[in-house]
Amino acid sequence: MANNNDQTASFMVRFSQKIYEDGQGDAQVQWRGKISHVQGGDSENFSEFSDAIQFIQSKLSELTKQATVDKTPEEQEGILTRSFDIWKKLSTTGAKMAIETIKDPRKGVAQLQEQISQVGEDIGQRLEIDEWRGAKKADYNDLKDTLQQVTSQLASLHDKVDKLSKNKK
Amino acid sequence: MSTLSDRLLQLEEKLTNASLQIRTLGSFGAVVDGDTVTSKAWGRDKTLQLFQFLITARSRSSLHREKIIDRLWEDAEKDEGDRNFKVALHGINKALEPNRPPRTDPKYINRQGITYQLNQEEMWIDAQAIEDYIAIANEARGTDHTTAISAYRSALECHNGLYLPNRIYEDWSSEERERLQVLILSAYISLAELMLDQQPLETVRLAQKAISIDSTWEDAYQLQMKAYLAQGNRPAAIKSYQQCIKVLDKEFGLDPLPETQKIYDSII
Repeated sequence: MANNNDQTASFMVRFSQKIYEDGQGDAQVQWRGKISHVQGGDSENFSEFSDAIQFIQSKLSELTKQATVDKTPEEQEGILTRSFDIWKKLSTTGAKMAIETIKDPRKGVAQLQEQISQVGEDIGQRLEIDEWRGAKKADYNDLKDTLQQVTSQLASLHDKVDKLSKNKK
Repeated sequence: MSTLSDRLLQLEEKLTNASLQIRTLGSFGAVVDGDTVTSKAWGRDKTLQLFQFLITARSRSSLHREKIIDRLWEDAEKDEGDRNFKVALHGINKALEPNRPPRTDPKYINRQGITYQLNQEEMWIDAQAIEDYIAIANEARGTDHTTAISAYRSALECHNGLYLPNRIYEDWSSEERERLQVLILSAYISLAELMLDQQPLETVRLAQKAISIDSTWEDAYQLQMKAYLAQGNRPAAIKSYQQCIKVLDKEFGLDPLPETQKIYDSII
């Protein structure tokens, strides 16, 4: 059986901010990123966050493949499909779900556990998030505010990148 | 209150005065009272790993034993984890103080109940020195260029490569590696800026070093172009700009910033 380390992928993301004036003298901001996969040692630069998500997804797929190498091709395909499904859900609704979890920890934890259970024991262990229940309300509020700020900054960043892409075209 | 140059001097003296000197960048090494701690003295790899973990977590006020065990022996049962920790800790103390009399406290690792911490008063760590030098340099930058330049130089002299390169696949070391790399890149750029007027060729060298660490560091290309221009070497400045365009396009699909473009416009 694979040990916990074989079942873990860690990522380090670096964002560099570039503030500059455009041709009209308006201040603009540009974000550049670098994402590194700790256990594999490789990294990739990105200016679109979706590229970073894709990088993570490819590493997680490799992890699932390695963990299911002794399964039949059919079983492996099934697990991979379910792995993709949960990743898709987490990458598209993760931030929203995290905020909801913070607003209503019991409901959020139950939702998350339900989603993880769907994937089955084949591809992972249950997240140890029961201890969240013991956290202080102030901690939840701080985390909620931070996540909301990040979400709003990301939305603003996406708008700006879209605008830049359109201008470039 | 000591001046910045005094603080710089004290920091430089610490390298000579500390009984334990630890190198973490480029490769790992420890020297106690002038003698290198050999790999045989470290014994098991986990002993060395625990010591490197404590170095990495040195800025935390204290580390709970269970947290350390969770990170380094994550698959071990509680008793096994406790036993492994005890063996590794004993290994560290034995490697660093082979002649310590029985029933005396270890010199380099402080224990308070079930928490542990490095005794940094007794040791010099290159990664910590870099951080301290850069703090002095940044503070001196506006008022005391000489001290700032010396402090940046000392910081960069400590940098011999990646932080704990033998642990790049361990996630407990990643945060520190990344933090130090960004710190070093900033130091190269800051020093290159300070040298621009007086020694543009040195600026070129420093910028090149920054680019060798991160080829997408646009500030480095800008400084290199300015320095070549100050030298009257227009072809080299243009070449830097072209290299910048190529790298940013390949890595990000982006054009250089308007500021870089402006420098280029002043060249042609």
